[in-house]
Amino acid sequence: MYENIYKQNRNRNITVITFVVLAVIFLAIVSLFTGSSNMTVKDVTDTLIFKGDAINGRIIWNIRIPRIMAAIVAGAGLSLSGLIMQTVLNNPMASPSTLGVSNAAVFGANLSIIAFAGGFLNVGNNLSNYQTSANPYATSLVAFAFCVFSIFLILGLCRIRAFLPGIVVLAGIAIGSIWTAATTVLQFFATDVGISAAVIWNFGDLGRATYKVDLIMSLVVVIAIIVFSFLSWKYNAVLSGDQVAKSVGINVNRLRFLSMLLASLLTAVCVSFLGIIGFIGIIAPHITKKIFGQDHRITIPVSALTGSLILLLSDTFSRTLGNGSALPVGAITSLLGAPFFLFIIFSKRRDY
Amino acid sequence: MFEIKNLVFRYKKKGNDILKGVNLKLKPGEIGILLGENGAGKTTLFKNILGIEKPVSGEILFDEKEMSKLKEVERAKYIGYVPQNIRYGALSVYDTIMTGRISCFGYRVSENDHKKVCEVIKKMRLEKLAAKNVNELSGGERQKIAIARAMAAEPEMLIFDEPTGNLDIANEQLILKEAKKLAKELNITILTSLHDLNQATFLGDRLFFLKEGKIIYDVKKDEITPDMIKETFNIKVRIIDIDGEKLIIGGENEK
Repeated sequence: MYENIYKQNRNRNITVITFVVLAVIFLAIVSLFTGSSNMTVKDVTDTLIFKGDAINGRIIWNIRIPRIMAAIVAGAGLSLSGLIMQTVLNNPMASPSTLGVSNAAVFGANLSIIAFAGGFLNVGNNLSNYQTSANPYATSLVAFAFCVFSIFLILGLCRIRAFLPGIVVLAGIAIGSIWTAATTVLQFFATDVGISAAVIWNFGDLGRATYKVDLIMSLVVVIAIIVFSFLSWKYNAVLSGDQVAKSVGINVNRLRFLSMLLASLLTAVCVSFLGIIGFIGIIAPHITKKIFGQDHRITIPVSALTGSLILLLSDTFSRTLGNGSALPVGAITSLLGAPFFLFIIFSKRRDY
Repeated sequence: MFEIKNLVFRYKKKGNDILKGVNLKLKPGEIGILLGENGAGKTTLFKNILGIEKPVSGEILFDEKEMSKLKEVERAKYIGYVPQNIRYGALSVYDTIMTGRISCFGYRVSENDHKKVCEVIKKMRLEKLAAKNVNELSGGERQKIAIARAMAAEPEMLIFDEPTGNLDIANEQLILKEAKKLAKELNITILTSLHDLNQATFLGDRLFFLKEGKIIYDVKKDEITPDMIKETFNIKVRIIDIDGEKLIIGGENEK
């Protein structure tokens, strides 16, 4: 009977994944019908079959759909990034920002906004100009460049010294705090308009997503899912510690380096485009592990989908609660997620 | 044949030598026990054999093949490892044992891997536990799973680091018997450290007394004398012979 365990497990895994995929699709559809523009269900369906009016068309096609896609993709990316970092660093508190990636993104974006007025062009002290400057992606690009710089700085440092989990985490904290300090200095010298534009950027906002952004993010997320899934068994072995992992034939340092690099890049892409969306990277993987254990063949796809689900839910709330304008989704993820997270942590489900 | 020739190791470039020219030999199916005080270098020796640390000089040979030059994947096919502090992820027993075969399958599990894992489960009579979460098991069962995992890649040798350290007496017996069975029935070479001298004479074929990074005695199990123990551990003992079995009693600190 134990000979069939793996077949039973495979069937169970397929059922679980199908179920979560359906949940994401269901929520995406609900999300499509909700928002602050008072569109009726009929308006939305009309628009979807190209019969609605132009304004509704713009709301659905240019605002809601790219936004929903961004929630699905970024939620998956951030969650996956958190899961992999928790595994390879052997630390349940590891998150997508462990290497100081978010702090580097904030500094990069602030630098771009405050020093270069958002688009490498001086457009004067007018808030609206910050959004319509020369290149709409300039801020994201600068943020991303600083993320990459920060990632390579930490991974490079660790490679010279020792690639031990504790050292990586501490180096990440140290470098992260340097970025935070630098951001504070930068903001000290900023104009009122510059500072408000910078602070608004820091709030994670899915409304910044365009189809182009969605495409870039999905490419990175899909590549990451494929690579991480490929390495599932290695991650499973790493759960027993470095020595055991080495003894069963894994080059642990290389696995850790590669995984940290890819997971950090994944975060870098998401936060550079959308701003800081906290907590998904901790909450989604932990909920998944609490319910399904730690087999990465299931936690990798399910964590990704759980991340999508949580971010999508938070964004739907933020658009409904905002009364005309959407609240920062980053705040909603923590406000709604943290209590649920505490409930999961303290409930007596399977120990992990 | 497993052989260590003149192994020297130190942690820092200019630090003290932890292993100062260790020599030992084990034939296939033989069980070697490393005896020595805490800090004598037992775990360091294991780390060198397992490739976790690189020796400064000397050779670690398995059938004339140099182990320290092999990649992790290839070494894993020769040597399995049962750690002292066992930690598991929340996986099923079946999957945990499967992780021991990574050196064989790499990324995707094949039918053959399932067959081999089932064989190990059967051999170690773990059928009833196979579907359970490893973290729900008792200490002795967890230790057995660690052995099964080390066996999964069908290595020719097993390294045990203090296999009975955290176990109660019944589980201790269980693990020792299991280890003996593996050596005698499957002709697996075993090198293990043990603190209990009576367990050492029960399990071992050869005893290696390690003191300050050197093997000071290398004897068959029935050649053990109180003097060897005194020199290694600085304690006085008596050895009583009961029907050919050695019983080691006493243990007073030398003043």
